[in-house]
Parts: sequence; C-alpha cells; structure tokens
Amino acid sequence: MDKVTYPKKALDKMQEIVNDCMGDAPPYCEATCPMHTDVKGYVNLIADGKHKEAVNVIREKLFIPRVLGRICAHPCEEQCKREKEFRQPMSIAALKRFAADHYDDEKDWDLKIEPENGKTVAVIGAGPAGAQAALDLRRKGYKVTIYERLPVVGGMMRVGIPEYRLPRHIIDHEYSLLNKIGVEFKMGVEVGKDISFDEIKDKHDAVVIAVGAHKGVVIPIPGHDLDGVLDAVNFLREVSLTRKYDIGKKIAVIGGGNVAIDVARSARRVGAEEVHLVCLESKPEMPAHDWEIEEAEEEGVILHDGFGPEQIIGKDGKVAGFQIKKCTSVFDKDGKFNPQYDENIKETLEVDNVIFAVGQAVDNSFVPEGKLETVRGGRFKADPTTLQTKIEKVFIAGDASGRSVIAIEAMAEGRKAAISVDRYLKGQDMFADRQYEGTYETWLETELKEDVVDLPRIETSKVKPEERIKNFDEVDLGFTEEQAVKEASRCLACECKLCMKECEMLNDYCECPKELFESILKTGEIDPIIPYSCNMCSQCTLVCPKEFEMKDRFMDIRKQMIKANGGKSPIKGHKAIEMHQALGFSKLFNTAKPAKYGYNEADVKEKGRS
Amino acid sequence: MSKKTKRVFVPGCSLPSYNPEAVKKTLEYLQKKLPGTGAILKCCGKPTKALGQLDKFHERYDQFQAEVDKLGADEIIVACQSCFLTMTENSPNQKVISLWELLPKIGLPEESVGIGKNSDIVFAIHDSCPTRNRATIHEGIRWIINELGYKYEEPPHTRETTRCCGFGGMVVPANPDLALRVMKRRTSEMESDYVVAYCAACRESMVKGGKKAVHILDLIFGGPWNSKSEFPGVPGSPIKAWANRYKSKKNINKVLG
Ligand SMILES: Cc1cc2nc3c(=O)[nH]c(=O)nc-3n(C[C@H](O)[C@H](O)[C@H](O)COP(=O)(O)OP(=O)(O)OC[C@H]3O[C@@H](n4cnc5c(N)ncnc54)[C@H](O)[C@@H]3O)c2cc1C
Ligand code: SF4
Ligand code: SF4
Repeated sequence: MDKVTYPKKALDKMQEIVNDCMGDAPPYCEATCPMHTDVKGYVNLIADGKHKEAVNVIREKLFIPRVLGRICAHPCEEQCKREKEFRQPMSIAALKRFAADHYDDEKDWDLKIEPENGKTVAVIGAGPAGAQAALDLRRKGYKVTIYERLPVVGGMMRVGIPEYRLPRHIIDHEYSLLNKIGVEFKMGVEVGKDISFDEIKDKHDAVVIAVGAHKGVVIPIPGHDLDGVLDAVNFLREVSLTRKYDIGKKIAVIGGGNVAIDVARSARRVGAEEVHLVCLESKPEMPAHDWEIEEAEEEGVILHDGFGPEQIIGKDGKVAGFQIKKCTSVFDKDGKFNPQYDENIKETLEVDNVIFAVGQAVDNSFVPEGKLETVRGGRFKADPTTLQTKIEKVFIAGDASGRSVIAIEAMAEGRKAAISVDRYLKGQDMFADRQYEGTYETWLETELKEDVVDLPRIETSKVKPEERIKNFDEVDLGFTEEQAVKEASRCLACECKLCMKECEMLNDYCECPKELFESILKTGEIDPIIPYSCNMCSQCTLVCPKEFEMKDRFMDIRKQMIKANGGKSPIKGHKAIEMHQALGFSKLFNTAKPAKYGYNEADVKEKGRS
Repeated sequence: MSKKTKRVFVPGCSLPSYNPEAVKKTLEYLQKKLPGTGAILKCCGKPTKALGQLDKFHERYDQFQAEVDKLGADEIIVACQSCFLTMTENSPNQKVISLWELLPKIGLPEESVGIGKNSDIVFAIHDSCPTRNRATIHEGIRWIINELGYKYEEPPHTRETTRCCGFGGMVVPANPDLALRVMKRRTSEMESDYVVAYCAACRESMVKGGKKAVHILDLIFGGPWNSKSEFPGVPGSPIKAWANRYKSKKNINKVLG
C-alpha cells in the first residue's frame, strides 16, 4: 500500500475529536488537587481492599500522605461530583490518611535520584513549599540545602496547625525522606540574621524563598498595645513548641477563619476556661469550615458571630475587657471588604487576653531593602507562571508569594518553583507547557448514571470533647478499615469513555478516541486492521456526549486506504468479499423479473404453508 | 389492466443465500396482495461501499438502478436493512419501503396468524443496527410477532439503542476474533435462548453467539416453532450459500415466469 494521505476535511474531522473528546479528561477531584493526586485511582483501590497499592498511587504525587490525610484543606472535596450532586462529598483526605497510616512503609519509599549535576540550590524555609521544591530538585540531581530558622521542620504545619490535629512525629517521619535522599538541612539558621541573604544567593546557583507568612497582624484599635494583647502566629508557635502559654482564664479571639478556631481550641488546652470567639461574619458565612466551628463549640468555645472589635479596655496597662459591636454587613455591594456596624448594639466581654487571628503577613526583612519587589502584606512579587523574581536566580514559593494559603497549594508552588529552577539552570524555555500546573478546571462533563443513589458521607470518629481538651492528643481517630472501604465504594469513578463501554474494538486499540486520532494526526499512520474492525454500528455515537461519529472517521480512512492500495482493501480477509462480489454480480446468480399478471390466486392457497 | 411493473421486491443478498423458500413465499404473497410486483435479485453494492471502494460502489449501484429503471418500478420493497439505507440514499426517484413496514399494512397470510399462540418459547428480538433510527420498522416487527402469536423479549439494548450483531462493517473477514466477541456480547445480554432477527446475517451472528435463531420470515412462512423444533444453524460452507442463492434465483423466475 502507498502512503495514505487524507483530504483536509477528513483531517479536520479527526482534529475535532482530538480537541473535544473527554476520554483523557481527569476527574473533578484530580484536576482540582493542586498536586493532581490520582484520587479516583487510590480511592477505588481502597474500595477494592488494595490499600498498599493505594499508598503507592498517593506517593506518586505526595511525600507527606499521613500529614495531608489529616490537615489537607481538601479543595478536591468541594469539586467532587458527590458534593455537586448531593452535598455529600467523598472523604478524600480521610481515606488518604487511612491508607497511609496503616499501609505506608518507609522501606518502599522511592529514593532514586538522577545523577548529581554539580549545581547547588538553597531553599529558605522548611514548610511544605520549601520541602517540595527541595525534594523535586534533589531528585533531579541538584545539591539542595534548606535553611530553616526554627529547630523543627514543617513550617506552619508545625508551628501553626495545632498538635491535636497533626501529631508532630508524623511530620518528622515523613520529612525524613528528604534526609534519606540527601537534602541538607541547616536548622536553627535564620537567614538575615545568622547568614545574610546575599551570601546565600552568591553561594548557590539558585535560591527558592519559601519563608511563609509568619508575622502576626494586630488591628490598631484602641487598646491594641495593652499587655495581654497577642497575635495568633506567636501564640500558636509558642504553644506548638512548648505545649504551654501563660494565658488568663478568660480570653477572646478575634477572627472567623480556621486560624482563629485553632487559637481558640489551643487556648482551651493551655488553661483558658472561658474562650470567646468574635468574628464579623454570621456563622454560615464564616471562612472556617463548618466542622471546625462545630468542634470548637463542642469544646466550649463561645461564638459571637456577627460582631466586630470596638476597643480593648485596659486596667493598669493590662487587658481587662473587650468591647465588641454588632456588625451588620461585611462586604459592600462591590464585594469589597467594608464592614458596617450598628453602634447601638455593643457588648463587653470581661477577659484577660485578646488574641488577634486576622491574618498573617510575610516577614521579608531578611532581604536587603529594594532587592526584591514586595506587595501587600509584605509578600514577594514573582512572575505568576515561573515564580521567578527580578533577580533571575531567585524564585518564590508558597505563602511567601501570597499565591498559596493552604499546605497542598504551597506544595504545588514548591513544585512549580523547582520546575522553573531546573529549566533556568538548564537554559530551557521557562514558559512552555505550564498550563496544567496547580489547580485547573477539567474539561470533563459527566451525567449521573440512572442507578446512582445519594449515599451519605461517612465521618471518622473523634475523641469526646471533655476528654480531648485535657491534652494535645490527636482528636480525629480516622477510619476503621470497614469504614474506609465503605466510604471509598461511594466514589463515582468519574470519567467519560462512554464509547469505550459500548465498543469492543476501540478497547483493543486505544484508551479513548482522542488518543487514537491524535496518533493518526501526529504520525499519519494507522494499522489498517483498526478502521477495518469498526462494525459501523454507531453505538459509540449514541452514547457520546459530543456525538462524535467515529464510524465516519473510520470510513474516511478506509476510503483513503483503498485509494492508496490500487482500489483494493488492504485487508487479506477481504479477498473473499471481492470473490463474493464478483459472483454476486454475475448473471448466474442474478435476475430481474417484471410483474406477472393473471396470477392464479388459488395457486398460492393450494401450496399453502411449507 | 395495464401490465406495468409498479414495484419490485428486492430480497437482497443474505436472505436468498439463507432461505430460498422464504424468498419464494414472500414474492408469491406480495404478488397476490399487490398485483404489479416484480423482483430483482442483485446486490446493491453495499459491501464495496463498506470497504471504502466508492468508485466500485457507484459502478455497481448504477447497474442495479438500471434494472429498476428498465422494469419501470416506482417502488422498491426491501427485506434487508442495508439495502433499505443504500437505496433510500441512492434511488431518489423510487420510494423505498421495508417489507417490515409493509406487512402491517397488507396483513399477514391468513394461515400464519396466530400460529405461534401455543409455542412454549420466547423470542428475544434482535433489531438491526443500520435502521436503529427507523422506528416504523421496529414497530412492524413487533406487530408481526404479535400477529403470529409468539411471545417476545426486548433485550436491554433494543430498537434505537440496539447493539451490533458483530457482522457489520465487513469485520468478520478482517478480524474474526473480534467479530465473535461482539456476537457473544450481543447474545449474552439476552435472557432467552431463542432469538428472532430480520436480517439473515444478523441471524447467523446470533447463532455464532450461541443462540437458537430464526429469521422473521421463518416465523411467517414456517413453524410453528417450539422447544422441540430443529433450528437452522450456520451454513457449513460458502458453497451451500451460493447454492441457496441459485435456488432463490430459480424460485423468482418460477414465480414470475
Ligand atoms: C494556624 C494555621 C492553621 C492552618 N491550618 C491549615 C490546614 O488545616 N490545612 C492546610 O492545608 N493549611 C493550613 N494552614 C496553612 C498552611 O499551614 C500554609 O499554607 C503552609 O504551611 C504554607 O507553606 P509554606 O511552605 O509556604 O510556608 P510555611 O509553612 O509557613 O513555612 C515557612 C518556613 O520558613 C521559615 N522561615 C521564615 N523566615 C525564615 C528565615 N528568614 N530564615 C529561615 N527560615 C525562615 C519558617 O520558620 C517556616 O518554617 C494553616 C495555617 C495556619 C497559620
Ligand atoms: S464518549 Fe468517547 S469519543 Fe465521546 S467524548 Fe467520551 S471518550 Fe470521547
Ligand atoms: S466521585 Fe470519585 S472520581 Fe468523582 S470527583 Fe468524587 S472522588 Fe473524584
């Protein structure tokens, strides 16, 4: 057969399939996960009882599965099909925790790295962003040194997120992978104090700044400078490192996010007996998750939702009370933060401390003034695609750039920075093919199958509130195996590939039509047996949400193959059809007869049935 | 009375190769009910089209059309679903009508009505996939089975969602293993061990897929069929099929001779 070429129209039609076929579209969860963990993959392995295999799938993307199984803010669950349809999302994070807690084995960790390439990279900060960047770069053969101010690793996961949500030995255990593959740690070294930024910059081929946002913010209301006014960052760091804080019996926390909740619940554990949580938003509008608020209330935290700060009342230079006033709206009609108050409704809480949990800023003072651009909250400015700064060899990752606010996003930013550093040091294009880094919207569109029922989400069990406030032991007990399998079985395994469920032959030759036609367009070639294995039955088209006519595409190909093969089918077996056709058109087997009139009806009757 | 040929019955290729008696009986019955019916036994060329041999197809179809025009028929009655589509598309001056749409209009032979009433078997219906969008054909088939008195079953994929029998697209000679898998997949979704099809190729696929299968004309002009009946198998060799076709030709010539 000669080389087959296709007319433009045929090619365009194939291109349509390549453009719009959803066969390779990731499920909602996976596209949403900033690290693109194969959620569907591991959840369904758990459903099948293949827990060890599930861990392997998780570890392809995440090096701290037990940490994330506990504290990941799981944006995936918000986009889960079961959330969209029934408000009962899969417990994706808790399933990850189950698999990793019980089936992750240090011995199986992937310690492979590419050959040493002789280049060195400094990473400032051992939070999730810095750690991920260090890991990815080390795997590519760079010599990586992490400079960390604290004596412990984990960043805000260690000194922000409280211990009762994330036991510290888990962080240390999972971070030990970095030591195993040869990342060097310089602990207790503060850049800007113990070593200058310039020295680090000059000593290394590239620098990743991943210092997070560790500066507490205090709103300058009257009384904010009294003794006993604290900020969340410093309070939580101290509690994290010592499990203690010299705090009064009655305290107030201001803020409606998860940091405020962590502060309030931590305060209960270091001796505060009466904890007031004051926030502008009404309860349903609070940024904190519902379950967080619920757990705080269970622990006795008193919620004053819809209130803002008026003043902190002092006595002898010390906090004695906190006056709050009714907040009527938080945002104006343009959606701008612009709280309005009812000055007639005010309350005074008798407290010894007021803790501000109203945001964190970046402490950028370690970089000499003017060397790097900064924006609101002290955040470093970086190119959004490459994370590169105006100093070419310096990159920003994680909360320090303001592009992440949760751990998994920080990790994705760390990975992005690592890709950029690698390309930069290899002199490669910094911008090519980067649209699928971090969260994106999938092009998948699925309809619920008729037999799907609304099964409720299974919750993990927790330690009783009166027990748990006594110490920093972990509150969430995770899933039992039975619960995990049952929960995992709810997954809808979202994918298109409806045609693949209908067609036998497509399954023999491809993962989905997109893959097949992409390869034809790319190589110009296809094994003739493929187009000649289509039954031309249209079953694929019948179920395809895009109504692609695969049979017509295969027919287009057949036609061109016939042309390229001197008018004959390239398939051996079709010789028989040629024979058949020759006979089928020979006089011997054909006849054409006009109607016959005067036909004897009785004749028919007489012969009757055979 | 004018001696014009108003319409032609075109049995197609697979039916004449399967059951020459059915061809004969059908033609006789049409003659009786619709005087002015002639017949053409000739391939419409669809197999060449299916292979992608467009030039050859047009050449062949022209030959077929020439026969129709020579007889001067305005209507083509087809018993094959591929013929139905091919001729509808390529013979704009003739009205193409499926035998399965026609029979409900002219009725069944008296002696067939109710013949299956006492049968102890249920037939799963296999609809042909080329005419999945021609609801009147599906209706006609069910009307016929009801008239005959047989019980039937609709498989999960039926009428417009029917599944391919495995024969389509000339896959059998190209990729026989695959074709067999498709056949088995189709039959595996049917509960009954008995299938009625209205295409001889489909019927053969159902047998290869492990069922006992008849063509709907076997039900009209044969039977009654029950669990004790001997069901037609698959032709042992192509020679048998050609012999049948030759017989069909003779039969047509006899009926209209
Ligand atoms: C109270 C609280 C609760 C949170 N809860 C959750 C949660 O439940 N789920 C979730 O996903 N996210 C949560 N987050 C957010 C999450 O912890 C952060 O988004 C994430 O840790 C940011 O990672 P990072 O690597 O960018 O920075 P960080 O984790 O902040 O790490 C930065 C590191 O840099 C070090 N560093 C700073 N300056 C220097 C310097 N000059 N020299 C050397 N080292 C330096 C710091 O000590 C720190 O270890 C929470 C945050 C807080 C504050
Ligand atoms: S049904 Fe098949 S061809 Fe259609 S979009 Fe889905 S995977 Fe692609
Ligand atoms: S149902 Fe399963 S596959 Fe679909 S979005 Fe949810 S977790 Fe992902």
